[in-house]
Amino acid sequence: MAFKLHIDALSPHKSTLHLEGRLDALTFGEFDREADKVLQQMESGSTLVLDLSLLEYISSAGLRSIAKARKLMRARDGQTLLLNPQVQVRKVFDIVKAVPIKEIFQSMHELDTYLDQIQRKMLGEDME
Amino acid sequence: MVLRSLASRLAVWVLSGATVVFVASGFLLFRMVGHRLLEQTHRESEALASQGSSLIQERMDKVTNTARVLAAIIGPRPGDAESLIRDAMAENADLAGLAAAFVPNTPAVKSAGQSPFVSRQYDGSLERRDLLKDPLPYWEAPWFKKGVACDRGCWQAPFLSQSRHRQLVSYSSVMQVDGKVIGVVNADVTLDWLQSVLLSMDVPAGTHVFVVDWEGMYLANDTPGLVGKKADSPLLGTLRANVTSDGWSSLHLQDQQGDVWVYSQPIRGTDWNLALVVPNELIYAQVQRAFLSVLVTGAFTLLLLALLTMMIIRRLLTPLGMLAEGAELVARGALDFALPKVHRSDEIGRLTRAFDKMRQELAAHLVELTRIAREQQRLSSELEIAQQIQTDLLPGPHYLDARCQNFELFAALKPARIVGGDLYSYFMLPGQRFCVIIGDVADKGIPAALFMARTITLAKAMSTRAQSPQHLLQLLNRELCKNNENCMFVTLLCGFLDAVSGNMAMASAGHDPPVRWGQNVPPQWLPLASGPALGLDEDALYPIHRVRMRPGDTLLMYTDGVTEATDAALIPYGGERIIARIGQYHEGGDGDPVKFLVDDIEHYSAEHGQSDDIALVALRWNHVGLEEGASMLELVFPAALHEVFDTLGRCEETLRVASVPHDLRTDVRLVLEELMVNMVQHGRSQEREDTIGLRLTVVEEAILVELNHDGEPFDPLQSGSPSLTGDIADKEEIGGLGIHLVRAMASELIYTYDEYGNHLQLRFACSYLPEHDHGL
Repeated sequence: MAFKLHIDALSPHKSTLHLEGRLDALTFGEFDREADKVLQQMESGSTLVLDLSLLEYISSAGLRSIAKARKLMRARDGQTLLLNPQVQVRKVFDIVKAVPIKEIFQSMHELDTYLDQIQRKMLGEDME
Repeated sequence: MVLRSLASRLAVWVLSGATVVFVASGFLLFRMVGHRLLEQTHRESEALASQGSSLIQERMDKVTNTARVLAAIIGPRPGDAESLIRDAMAENADLAGLAAAFVPNTPAVKSAGQSPFVSRQYDGSLERRDLLKDPLPYWEAPWFKKGVACDRGCWQAPFLSQSRHRQLVSYSSVMQVDGKVIGVVNADVTLDWLQSVLLSMDVPAGTHVFVVDWEGMYLANDTPGLVGKKADSPLLGTLRANVTSDGWSSLHLQDQQGDVWVYSQPIRGTDWNLALVVPNELIYAQVQRAFLSVLVTGAFTLLLLALLTMMIIRRLLTPLGMLAEGAELVARGALDFALPKVHRSDEIGRLTRAFDKMRQELAAHLVELTRIAREQQRLSSELEIAQQIQTDLLPGPHYLDARCQNFELFAALKPARIVGGDLYSYFMLPGQRFCVIIGDVADKGIPAALFMARTITLAKAMSTRAQSPQHLLQLLNRELCKNNENCMFVTLLCGFLDAVSGNMAMASAGHDPPVRWGQNVPPQWLPLASGPALGLDEDALYPIHRVRMRPGDTLLMYTDGVTEATDAALIPYGGERIIARIGQYHEGGDGDPVKFLVDDIEHYSAEHGQSDDIALVALRWNHVGLEEGASMLELVFPAALHEVFDTLGRCEETLRVASVPHDLRTDVRLVLEELMVNMVQHGRSQEREDTIGLRLTVVEEAILVELNHDGEPFDPLQSGSPSLTGDIADKEEIGGLGIHLVRAMASELIYTYDEYGNHLQLRFACSYLPEHDHGL
């Protein structure tokens, strides 16, 4: 099975990329191209969510693509959150310590809660 | 026992020698003295005889002179005859009687008127008688006739006087007047008188002296009974012979004991002889006595000398006896005794001291020997243990691949001494590889055995680190070069057999090339490029040689103890013979080729004996196939990305078919992807189209992957670990993640590089594969 990318809720504030299949040396180019389009329109302080629940496999080439995206988001003071990585992907992430644990979420609910908290925090800061 | 001692023997010899000298010199002396003595006796006896003869002659002369003077006086005056005779008788006491007998009928008888005869009586008185008045006419008597006939006067034969009862002898002298015989004057002397004259001689005892007349009648004899008797005819003959000789001669007499010497001297004026008889015995008696006493004294002296000699020698030789006893003790092995102190400086003293020193040194030497023997025993028992340990270092002589009997191994090792420097070993390596080693340490014996033990242990320890035989040799060489002061070295042949495929990689460190033969292929040498022996050059490199074992192939490896085994004529066994014998064996069947060769070598070198260690290893590839449940994939493809991913797909399929769990499949895929993409992206060869070879095998409990890439050398193990900050986005350049993943996921990763390129051997443990029955 090859790689598929499904873009959901594309907005400058928050976008979600649904990865499916294998992200490896053969497919990372496709991801890079598609992700680039999304990343270009993201504004400062936005959030990029990578839904990994359907990603079966990732190799170092795929890791590099994710790293590139995270770098770009960081440059825009944004954040990249990972959602529901499968066993193999989680294992690879663990081995190379790819992302901080707090940025990986097991479910959409967990992610929404986290985002709400941040929103409230930011609002609180604004009120102060 | 006594005679066996040196002292008594010496005494006996001294005694016998002295006796011989003593007797011989005594005998010589006796002969010389005896001769002198005889000469002296001859002289003395002759002198005595002539002295006796003179004595008697002197006395006889008086008688004859008286008779002659009377005859001269009475002739002219016959009338005074009686008074003249009487006067003469009174004057000469020697005379026994005097007579003037006239021839009858002559004027003289007429004028005288008588023929007077005066004789001496026993009492000494003189008696006169007229012979004319005798009843028998005297002029007819023989004495008168003989007297008248001898005109110069002569002695008559002795006669017995009837009237006087005496034996007499008379001298007759003729009276003449004017040339005419008128009568005879007759003077008598008794034989008793003659006897007394004879006995007045001083004659030595035992010597006989006598006077004998021409007729052989004894006139006087120191044995009175013989007077008037006839002498023996032999004596008489001797006396007569003496007249013509020196006057003495030897005679053997019947009645005497032994020979006698007879000395005789004629008495002048008579026809008598005076004889002296000296027995031989008498002459020698004195000297014999002297010699006898000397002999007895000598014998006693000799006996004394012998005893003295014996005592002195015994005394002298007492230490020698002790030495002899000591030597007997030494001969029996008892050395713990003390010899008495000897303070002499002669040969015996020196001998005793030397002997005692010898005993002490012998004892010390024996102690030393015992110690050495114990040491030797300890050493040999240690050596036996060492042999056992060395034997234990070696795996068994037969090995059959337990998994699927793909190969079989036969081995033999025979040290020339108790321990040796040859070695062989084999063991399984991770990834279904089988390592086999054969080697030969230079030199023999204990140093070689120790070096062998070092080599075999190091080889086994390092084999897990080594990715290939040449790598193992390299590691071993570097290790053996360390602290190798004695420059010991070992030739080694090492092979890694892929137990699944039959591919074999070999490397040689100065070792003899192996021999290979197959089912229909005759035995031949497998030429191997070789590096230097291990332990000499630290930087040595070892070329690799790949052999693909075909089913039925056998590879024989051996040490030079095989080719250098010699027969009685010192002709070496040689490599050609190995080839020939293997050819024979090959035709014969498929038994143990090693045992076949060892028996043949033993038979060949039976007479000369084994001079070098012998090691033989034969590896036979049966190629039964993969074990049940195992699967395998082998591909070679150009190094391109899409080819890589095609291959990854096929690998995954293979693993899926082999019921490998999904997550392990993914791990394998990730590792293979990382490695192969690396090869494609970084390792492309500049000169040629490079290819990647992959072999994937699923065996019990493991997945084995071999990746070969003929591109640029690239060792993924050498790249350092990436710095992991916890966020991959922290890094400027993202690299090394793939290799990090590979290292984390593969259970084992071995990299080698040779002239064929990069070789990677991977192993994934999968304990959760469906378990086979282990018989547990």
